[in-house]
Amino acid sequence: MSFNGYKNKIEEGDTVILYLTITQIYSVKAQSKIINKKGNEVVNVFQTPYGALKCGELVGKSFGTKISLSKGWGYVLQPTPELWTITLPHRTQIIYTPDISMIILQLELSPGSIVIESGTGSGSLSHALIRAVKPHGHLHTFEFHEGRSKMATEEFRNHGFSNYVTVRHRDVCEKGFSEELDGVADAVFLDLPHPWLAIPHAIKSLKSSGGRLCSFSPCIEQVQKSCLVLLKLGFQEIQTMEVLQTQLSVQQRNIPVINMDFLKSEKDGSEGEKKDREFLKTVVAIPPPSLPGHTGYLTIATLPPVWARSLQMSLNEVDMIDGEGEGD
Amino acid sequence: MDSGDNTIKIGDYVVVQRQGYTKLHKLKASSKLILGSFNIEMDNVIGEKYFDTFQMKNTPGNKRFYVLEKVEQVNSAKDSLNIEKSGQDNRNIPNNHAESQSLTKEDIDKLKDAELSSNNIVGQLINNSKTFSMKTEYSQEKYIKKKEKKYFEYVQIKKPSIRILVQMFYRQDPTKTLGIRVDDLSQILTYANIHSEGNHLLYDSGTSGLISAAITNAIGPNTTGQLIHTHPGNECQKNAFIAMQFPKEQSDRCINVNLYSVIRCFYQNRNTFVENNAETSEPEAKRQKVDENTKSASNIQKKTWQLDNEKACKILDQKVDSLIITAKEHPVNITKELLSFLKGNRNFVVFSLFKELHQDLYTYLKTRTDIINIRITNNFMRNYQVLPNRTHPEVNMTIAGYLLTGYKLDM
Ligand SMILES: C[S@@+](CC[C@H](N)C(=O)[O-])C[C@H]1O[C@@H](n2cnc3c(N)ncnc32)[C@H](O)[C@@H]1O
Repeated sequence: MSFNGYKNKIEEGDTVILYLTITQIYSVKAQSKIINKKGNEVVNVFQTPYGALKCGELVGKSFGTKISLSKGWGYVLQPTPELWTITLPHRTQIIYTPDISMIILQLELSPGSIVIESGTGSGSLSHALIRAVKPHGHLHTFEFHEGRSKMATEEFRNHGFSNYVTVRHRDVCEKGFSEELDGVADAVFLDLPHPWLAIPHAIKSLKSSGGRLCSFSPCIEQVQKSCLVLLKLGFQEIQTMEVLQTQLSVQQRNIPVINMDFLKSEKDGSEGEKKDREFLKTVVAIPPPSLPGHTGYLTIATLPPVWARSLQMSLNEVDMIDGEGEGD
Repeated sequence: MDSGDNTIKIGDYVVVQRQGYTKLHKLKASSKLILGSFNIEMDNVIGEKYFDTFQMKNTPGNKRFYVLEKVEQVNSAKDSLNIEKSGQDNRNIPNNHAESQSLTKEDIDKLKDAELSSNNIVGQLINNSKTFSMKTEYSQEKYIKKKEKKYFEYVQIKKPSIRILVQMFYRQDPTKTLGIRVDDLSQILTYANIHSEGNHLLYDSGTSGLISAAITNAIGPNTTGQLIHTHPGNECQKNAFIAMQFPKEQSDRCINVNLYSVIRCFYQNRNTFVENNAETSEPEAKRQKVDENTKSASNIQKKTWQLDNEKACKILDQKVDSLIITAKEHPVNITKELLSFLKGNRNFVVFSLFKELHQDLYTYLKTRTDIINIRITNNFMRNYQVLPNRTHPEVNMTIAGYLLTGYKLDM
């Protein structure tokens, strides 16, 4: 239950972030026993480079404190959606915080918003969506893989999010977002291989006063298809972007300095010392030698309210005709 | 649905959009808006609905002065023009653009003043162009689009949102919002873990109220979260905050205080905000002094800013759940001071346009034992034009600032 609200003490069953170093961050469950792959109950031990951690011993400790390991120490942090995103068990490809942040701002979510998401996948985005809309908003998330939808339901319950989210096992391209959600959503988010098939359904679910839609796609062909459908269906402010984050590492470097002054005058016997190389101590911030150059394209659009839709459709028609006449 | 909510009323802050250009406007009776080279009388939008489209119509006898008329249909230039001839490529097109157009600037102004109609003007421009028919179909289209944009006579009225405001401010003048771009803002909110609960502390040295508005928006209506917005001036900047038109209950939970004055109050006037029950455990002599002080203080009518300081200090005394710093000043001292108000097991974010300042801050934070997970990040963001067979990154791109994020331990 460690996601919902601020918390001081670790309780049995809480998800805990184990921070060892900036690149060694893990999530563990504070409980002494766990069911292993063979279905047997075993002691819940997490192996770290600094020794084994008996997770049951975390119960009663305070979040934000140091814990000792046999060959070092670590810190236990309360999970946030950001920490969860970098430590969660991957069941699918996931969306990361730079894209997630942009999605939430572009969908104009705030507490009280009703938001629809598909597919749920590993729930990386879902956690941030729930935080943005709770306590009186709601996330309706759809996943057509039964196992994944069950695991997500279980995870949200474990994290104390049950009141703010409904997981549905359903193919949204074929069947849409279910009639009970007709006209209720402020925003719809799609992370699907064929997002354009779900866009017509999204219109049904969005409020008659309009709303925002965002689709995340790794490939530009998906973006092109989605954009054409969005145009056809009368969306406006259609925008496609990508956001890539670089992390700089601050380091102190000794930079060699070349000094040539001594060359300008006659020998005075001091040349010998010049062989000691001079260095300048300086602080630099350097990007990593290689970094992700692509995650996915975010395509974002506004569905106007019903009273402005037909006007928008006639406007969009022109852009579509432009495209269809091309190619010769 | 709820049409009352969507009716444009006097007193509303509205966003007027013409093509990609947007401007914020406060609607008063018979107010005027200057939109680029157009001077527009806004009265006719009152009583209509958000998202409605209006045509700018010339007023007889008054050049460059336009009234708005609601429309149900918009004609695009490309649709109404009949283009008969296009070239195969641009081999025959002279380089000198000016000579190919026989309409002078005065001629065009005359057309514009007679009737602002992009269709008509674009049509005339084409008829008077010596080279238009030699252009390829593709360049013809590009030409029409470009000209249509210039003489486009329609505007749309929208409600302000954080998304619209951050993009509008950045486009108009990034220096007025410390250069904070949409991606910067989006990440400030997530990495600081801003949500409906908790007390949040902001130092903002001037983003036209954008950051306090964005945090208040993320805290939401009818929730428990509060924001202490500290600023360096006499008055805080609040353009964006006012434009959001939060319900009173929500905007009241953003406490605006001067940084110096709230810190002075916190360290020098503890008696004004420390709860009574805490006093009983204090020595007799001290308690008496406190009693006298509170008595004399209640005799004088306190100013709003004093009450706000006390309200803020009361929260600071309990410590806060997140810290956001968007400063043009050097971040080390500010961060050092304000971190002492942050609870353990909480996150903070500092924005700066310069990575060198973050290097200093990083070096300082590394000397502390209670701060971990320190990261300096920067984004590459790019927009795309997506059109069949003409998809490519947009020609212009912008630069973002740097975020330093970190976590405070509970020690
Ligand atoms: C890339 S994952 C989503 C990851 C998620 N955004 C996250 O951050 O964890 C895509 C998911 O969509 C699901 N999916 C694909 N097509 C679907 C459909 N038509 N209806 C419902 N779910 C679908 C897949 O099973 C997969 O789990």
